[in-house]
Amino acid sequence: MNNVDSAMAAPDDGADLDAEIMLDPRVQESIGRSLKAHYDDIVNAPVPDKFLVLLAQLEATERRAAGASTDELN
Amino acid sequence: MSSTEFKDGLIKEIPNLRAFAASLSGSIQLADDLVQDTLLKAWGNSDKFEPGTSLRAWLFTILRNTYYSLYRKRGREVQDSEGTYAERMATHGNQESHLDLADFRKALAKLPEEQREVLIMVGATGLSYEETAEICGVAIGTIKSRVNRARTKLAELLSIGSLDDLGPDRQSAAAIQRVSTETVGT
Repeated sequence: MNNVDSAMAAPDDGADLDAEIMLDPRVQESIGRSLKAHYDDIVNAPVPDKFLVLLAQLEATERRAAGASTDELN
Repeated sequence: MSSTEFKDGLIKEIPNLRAFAASLSGSIQLADDLVQDTLLKAWGNSDKFEPGTSLRAWLFTILRNTYYSLYRKRGREVQDSEGTYAERMATHGNQESHLDLADFRKALAKLPEEQREVLIMVGATGLSYEETAEICGVAIGTIKSRVNRARTKLAELLSIGSLDDLGPDRQSAAAIQRVSTETVGT
């Protein structure tokens, strides 16, 4: 796979390993907390009704289709 | 799995899909279009989902493929004309903590896509390195390397590369150390 090869051959990979060692665990924790805060902020936002409406419509359409094919069999 | 069970599963994943889509596209409006497309595709392909496997990982794969094939270019156009969601969402909510979040989002938006997506998946969504590798179609080692690069870049963008940047506690600790060094010196 090209991605793997190019990542492994990337000239800055050695520098990244060094950077990983250099990055203080507290800096990593701080980034981790911000990452969760960013993500959870959107996760906890109210879900727009349109998604629930869409799924209800899809389910209703499927039910009708199933009902119609049962009718044809009878 | 019945249609109703599958539908309930999808509903439960909507908040995560929105958060991932917004992280990828940088726009909450694009994110909602992307989530809608993902739900439609998931519904149409529900027979391909294997019960017992992670629905979240399956949906993220669909969302990510949809983003890269259809939305990536639109994302750039929207960001250019309207500013990123990071900037627009920063105007409401708790002032002080929101300022931090806004800064973080701006930095996150500056990461290359391939680094940003894996950092979000590994660091915030609860997906494992293995699942993330499978979703992205690359080796686990590549994921680890991208996560490291992303963290380092973020630390650089947020200027928290050194311990002193983390807060007053660290700074006073450093000051105490300087004082004691000076005392020893005299």
